[in-house]
Amino acid sequence: MAAPWAARCLRGGRDGRRFITTPSASRLASDEIIQMRNELFTKEKKRQLSLYPRIEKIEVKYVGKSHPGSVFVMNKALSTPYNCAMHLSEWHCKKSVLALVDGEVWDMYRPLTKSCEIQFLTFKDEDPEEVNKAYWRSCAMIMACVLKRAFKDEYSVNLIKSPEVPVISGAFCYDVILDSRLNDWKPTKDNFRSLARDAGMLIHKDLPFEALHVEAKVACEMFQHNRYKMEMIKQKASQNTEGIVMLHRFGDFVDVSEGPHIPRTSFCYQYEITAAHDLQTNKSELIRRFQGVSLPIHLKAHHTVWHKLLERSKRLVTEERYLEAEDGSSETKDGTEEGKSVSI
Amino acid sequence: MRLSVAAAISHGRVHRRLGLGPRSRLDLLRNLVTALVRHERIEAPWARADEMRGYAERLIDYAKLGDTNEQAMRMANFWLTEKDLIHKLFKVLAPRFQPHPGKYTRLLQIPNRDSLDRAKMAVIELKGNPYPPLIRPRCDSEKTLLNQLLKGYREDIQRATAPRAPEGTAV
Repeated sequence: MAAPWAARCLRGGRDGRRFITTPSASRLASDEIIQMRNELFTKEKKRQLSLYPRIEKIEVKYVGKSHPGSVFVMNKALSTPYNCAMHLSEWHCKKSVLALVDGEVWDMYRPLTKSCEIQFLTFKDEDPEEVNKAYWRSCAMIMACVLKRAFKDEYSVNLIKSPEVPVISGAFCYDVILDSRLNDWKPTKDNFRSLARDAGMLIHKDLPFEALHVEAKVACEMFQHNRYKMEMIKQKASQNTEGIVMLHRFGDFVDVSEGPHIPRTSFCYQYEITAAHDLQTNKSELIRRFQGVSLPIHLKAHHTVWHKLLERSKRLVTEERYLEAEDGSSETKDGTEEGKSVSI
Repeated sequence: MRLSVAAAISHGRVHRRLGLGPRSRLDLLRNLVTALVRHERIEAPWARADEMRGYAERLIDYAKLGDTNEQAMRMANFWLTEKDLIHKLFKVLAPRFQPHPGKYTRLLQIPNRDSLDRAKMAVIELKGNPYPPLIRPRCDSEKTLLNQLLKGYREDIQRATAPRAPEGTAV
């Protein structure tokens, strides 16, 4: 079990003395909350599956470069894009990160609901923007799972959300509110290493990401202990007409997600949690932004390059700052050109 | 001359024994060199192609001396069995390889011969030939995850090293 070990690591001096505190009704321990969400997720998944008591067939047409004109006869609400990929080749199973179902980005493990046209997206496509986003999202979710488990039960960990930062900014991030007793705690290098080790264990387990679309009511029941998630769910539910929220689960960790995820955790290869920054907000609570960087198994980097990327990922990433930086870079580019012409 | 352990302990006998004897070997290699100069890309057993490679490159080295050089002309006369190719050697290949110091040929292994004896086969070609390339270099697009990360890194470095002063004048 990694969590107590990591917690001991995080707290340093306290060796082995653990007091069992009686958790109050409003504040449950991380593990209990995770279990509760996991059970609800399983229940909801079963319920959704029971909506289709008879197996119905759908026709899925593959539109891609290889295997032109392939048509699969799949099971409605049971077969996933991954099953289609299994009919094509091992290459498709291993390399496909997302599916494009009638132009909509779809998880590999999300059941198909109607006859459609399908296409697979990989990391090495001409324009893998959606795939990159999904990868960044999944990495952030893995980090959230690690952070939720890393501390002792007596320290509360409130996950807020994972801001969508572009890949080019150099790091994925997750905003977390730690217990107020940890406000003056600064994570050290060893702490990050132990967190990254936990993440490595999750990656090694090769857990699938399961997608589930639920109504806002169910999602609220799941996340009733976390008011930030509740706000997020309400906002998401108001965005679409039916009030549907997308949830993802890997292992037993459930989270509200912005979009589709990668199929399995083993798609990550190099994974490191590198930095934690304090965000200055007007609220009394201290929001920390944990950052990390990762590369998939299909795009490995040499260790010299990897260490450069690690160094870079330690800087605070924000969406707004990146936009400013983009303008700045164009300016500096002009500047360098001018400089060149002068020097010539 | 190739450098290898086998060559080092071979007591000077660094050539492969091809054909029915030394004369036959030379004839065989001559025909291959001639074919290479004519077609610029040929398929042959790997050992023969590898053996012929040195002779073909030496012949081009001689050709670069010019067609007034007596030695060069004698070599061309010996190695090219079809005499119309002497003109091509001096007028086409020599100018093409003039800027290059060596390595005029490219040897690539192909699947073993299936029809006859499972011999190891190769394609040998002169560089700069007009045919479509055998190996197309495939690189990932600029937008892959790793390339995006590296692009961001490069931009950071650029921004750090760019001088402060031109920013004002850029407007």
